[in-house]
Amino acid sequence: MNILFGIHKPDSGYLKVFGTEVSFKSPLDAIENNIGMVHQHFMLIDDFTVLENVILGDEITKSKGLSIDFKKAGIVLNEIIDKYDLGLDVNKLISEISIGQQQKVEILKLLYRRSEILIFDEPTAVLSPVEVEHFFKIIDSFKADGKTIIFITHKLNEVKHISDRISVLRKGKLVYESDNSNELNISDLSKAIVGDINDIQNSEKRNASVKNVEALKLDDISLTVNEVKILNSLDLTLMKGEIHGICGVEGNGQSELVDVIYGLQKNFEGNYEKLIPGGISLVPDDRKRKGFIKEFNIGENISLKGANLNFLPSKKINKISEKIISDNDVRVSDLESPMSELSGGNQQKVIFARETETDKNIGSNKSDAEENNILLLVHPTRGVDINATSFIHSKIIEQRNAGKAVLLISSDLDELISLSDRLSVLYKGEILKTFNRNEFSRFIKSDSEIEPETDQNLY
Amino acid sequence: MNKKTLVNLISVTLSVLITVLIVFVFLLILGKDPFEIFGMIFSEVFADGYGIGQTLFKATPLIFISCGLAVCFHASLFNIGAEGQLNAGSFVIALTALKLDFLPVPLVTISSLIFGFIVSGFFGLIPAYIKIKKDVSEVITTIMMNFVILALVNYFLLDFFAVQSTMRTEKINEELMFLKISDVLPFFDGSTLNSSFILAILAAVLTYLFIYKTGFGYKLRSVGFNELASKYLGIRTNGVILISFFIGAGITAFAGMNYIFGYKGFYEFGFSNNIGFTAIAVTLLAKNNPIGIIFSSLLFAILDYGGLSVNQLIPKELMLVVQGIIILSLLAVDKIVSNYFKEKLI
Amino acid sequence: MDLITSVISLGFVAQVLRLMTPFYLGASAANFSERGGVINISVEGFMNLSAFSFAVISILTGNITAGFILAVLINLLFSIVFGYFTVSLKINQIVTGVGFNLFIAGLTKFLLVYIFSSSSNTPRFEGLPEFTLFSSIPFFGLFLTDYITLFCFLLIFISAYILFKTRFGLRLRSAGENPAAGESLGIKIRNYRYYGILICGFLSAMAGIWMASNQNSYSDGMIAGRGYIALAAMIIGKWKPVNIFFACLMFSAFEAFEISLQITGSDIPSQLIQMLPYFITILVLIGFIGKTKPPAADGVPY
Repeated sequence: MNILFGIHKPDSGYLKVFGTEVSFKSPLDAIENNIGMVHQHFMLIDDFTVLENVILGDEITKSKGLSIDFKKAGIVLNEIIDKYDLGLDVNKLISEISIGQQQKVEILKLLYRRSEILIFDEPTAVLSPVEVEHFFKIIDSFKADGKTIIFITHKLNEVKHISDRISVLRKGKLVYESDNSNELNISDLSKAIVGDINDIQNSEKRNASVKNVEALKLDDISLTVNEVKILNSLDLTLMKGEIHGICGVEGNGQSELVDVIYGLQKNFEGNYEKLIPGGISLVPDDRKRKGFIKEFNIGENISLKGANLNFLPSKKINKISEKIISDNDVRVSDLESPMSELSGGNQQKVIFARETETDKNIGSNKSDAEENNILLLVHPTRGVDINATSFIHSKIIEQRNAGKAVLLISSDLDELISLSDRLSVLYKGEILKTFNRNEFSRFIKSDSEIEPETDQNLY
Repeated sequence: MNKKTLVNLISVTLSVLITVLIVFVFLLILGKDPFEIFGMIFSEVFADGYGIGQTLFKATPLIFISCGLAVCFHASLFNIGAEGQLNAGSFVIALTALKLDFLPVPLVTISSLIFGFIVSGFFGLIPAYIKIKKDVSEVITTIMMNFVILALVNYFLLDFFAVQSTMRTEKINEELMFLKISDVLPFFDGSTLNSSFILAILAAVLTYLFIYKTGFGYKLRSVGFNELASKYLGIRTNGVILISFFIGAGITAFAGMNYIFGYKGFYEFGFSNNIGFTAIAVTLLAKNNPIGIIFSSLLFAILDYGGLSVNQLIPKELMLVVQGIIILSLLAVDKIVSNYFKEKLI
Repeated sequence: MDLITSVISLGFVAQVLRLMTPFYLGASAANFSERGGVINISVEGFMNLSAFSFAVISILTGNITAGFILAVLINLLFSIVFGYFTVSLKINQIVTGVGFNLFIAGLTKFLLVYIFSSSSNTPRFEGLPEFTLFSSIPFFGLFLTDYITLFCFLLIFISAYILFKTRFGLRLRSAGENPAAGESLGIKIRNYRYYGILICGFLSAMAGIWMASNQNSYSDGMIAGRGYIALAAMIIGKWKPVNIFFACLMFSAFEAFEISLQITGSDIPSQLIQMLPYFITILVLIGFIGKTKPPAADGVPY
């Protein structure tokens, strides 16, 4: 989609719009070719009114061309708003309107620029059910006007409901394409989405002795940030020696859930109980922003975590680096290279090592009981090469087998299904359903119909 | 030597060279002989022990203040309030030395320095607190605090403590004065260089160890590089910001040590003469490295003292222009060099 | 004359309005820069530079028009360099501002001594011609005495109009609020940031020229923190032209009050009045007096 909207350039191949071959250097070229995109993250200016946001860059000016003709612009916009029943007040500030309305402002921007091809990236992720319905009505009226709509989503029922044609993209390839008709086989579609799962990763037996020991219990947790309810009476229990997967579209409360468990977010309601001693380790979602200090080298990054050492001579740090590098097969040109010079996979290995190495190995003298026994993993293999991925996967299993309680949040369904012992669906800050391993592994392998109520949630 | 140090050295050297070039051209335009002027500066500074002594004397407060700023800068706290902070601290150093002179000498000295440190540090805590509680940039608050502190110091000095019709406190007890280096090493005969300089070097070394080798130093730099990641690493970032600002601002008070204990024996309003801002340039030129600060302070001190010698040829204020050019060319060269190496090396 | 009667007079009010000129010009200067997303703490330096070049060139050439035009041009030239540092090279805006302030302070000190062999001030010169149209009108004649002050009062409306009613203003503000959004709609954000900085250079030149003209000479340190007070006024005025006007009015009232204190020899300590603008700004920043929020991308290199 970024190629289509001119953000990235293709390495090879060509792009044709209405029959003519085009090459986009910037989003501006795409706009000129009547292609418009509503990004998942809106490109709006909070302190501007709806009207200002829409006309910016393509202003209607008075005859002299200097000052903006707000009256005329208002009339033009209100015409569009009425035509498609967008229900927006053009004079309100973006900061004053709801997320659903902000999305409509983005749509209005496209319509104002006469876009004929409209791209929506996960548009319903931020909408309430009522808003979704209204959104579909708007989409229908676009269709009636002869516009082309590309609708990217994870939700099968929405695809089924709104699309005329359905394509499935998997790892950069078109793997499935079909007209949407009554004969459409949902299970074929879901198979195409999920792909073939090799169930080899989690073949090792769980350590039975630690089974059924509760490690952490979240009970009726709710969290409201900036008057938006992010977590909604969420219940979750992590068990020792178990990998608990969380699936769901991003932005349904994943990162906030982690912040609550990790203790960075304290303004929640509900009951939070840690039932085993030791601390909590975290491999955060956004490696570059949250995972490490890019200017520091490996040893320095490792030592930072809970550094109870008062002095950190370079020798000691280099020793730590050496150990991490050899234990985890980290590729690095120089012992003292800053983390920024490592590849994504190697960076992730270091973070993983930092969060899982027993502290003894890196020079502290905590007892076993003080070790971190809960491990939170958020997209642990995102942007990581295949080798590092399988290395990290085997380490995750290893941690589980060592008796740690592991929470695995990922958007990679393959990863979740092959690693999880239990799998929960997180939707709008709520755990909708939790599956045991035998339930969801059978569900992937068998050809039987998927229960209608779960297909929406499990993609 | 690692790559970062190398790149830093290249850009600092390059910017000093560019400055020299610009100043040469500037002097030629004014119809002066640049070689004569630079020659006079160096011969004045290095001709005898007096010149060297005076230069080191002028470098002393710069080293102290810049070390304080380095602590702040490493934590990504852009403290522009050193001018105010150091005046508050220096004023208190002089007051303490005056009011506690019934105590034994070492005790008076130490408590003066501690009180000065605490007061300067306190004025650093204010912007730090506003930053973490209200998310207001420390830049604006420290700028505003400068004026508030200077007005307060001026008020308390003139209304309560100043010697009649002057802007200074009374003189402290003669016994409290620091040792003049020339009393030990006659080489420096006549210069006002005193043991503050040795303490300044010590402060630079300690600051270096503090920033680069202690656990807290790592946390401080970690917060400076990436506050969010530091939070996820379990560092109490707000605490780090408060402590760094307190220590960083506190150290600036010692600038007054050189003047009060080492030279005049009293606090005088205006003694700092914007040195709190010059120190920003010194610190940036040293790339926030306390050992580098010793050298960049010396460079600025050479310009400052050497400027006096060329005053009959060209106004000594030329050196202020040179300092300005150094800082601007450093900023530009830094960016260009680091962009260049990122493309070539990484 | 006692303090009270001196303060509650028409002359005092006129004094306040006149003294507001450099504050409001400086604050508007900073505002245009910050609305475009560039923090310019060297407004102080730019005011100093233009005061200096206006006075010096006017004295040397004996031609005030030349002094005026060249002072403006020199400020614009420095603004372009400032823009090159902050916009093109994306160097930290605060550090650049500090650098420019140091450099300009050094340059003016040096040239002052070099040209006039005085470390304190230039000889006196005539200053800008008086604006006489209103001089017979009561009250207004008391403070609308020169063209720059007149311009300053018009600027309240002009800057509000430019920022909020024109295409240019809308685009400039988008550069300060969310440059990525602006760029995605085809706006050349960097150009707009340069425009903001150039307007800043021009307006701070007006402020500096007024200062020198009003004093009929240039003296070292004559700006005396007015550039920073202007920044404070901009913050308290929430980056809005009319609000900034009231903030400046408050600050110039302090200054006029301080002058009255000195004349009447009152025993209220003048230092405490001097620090009030800065102190109030801190209080505002902490949130004791209203809330204030800069443009969202203010200070963020793009």
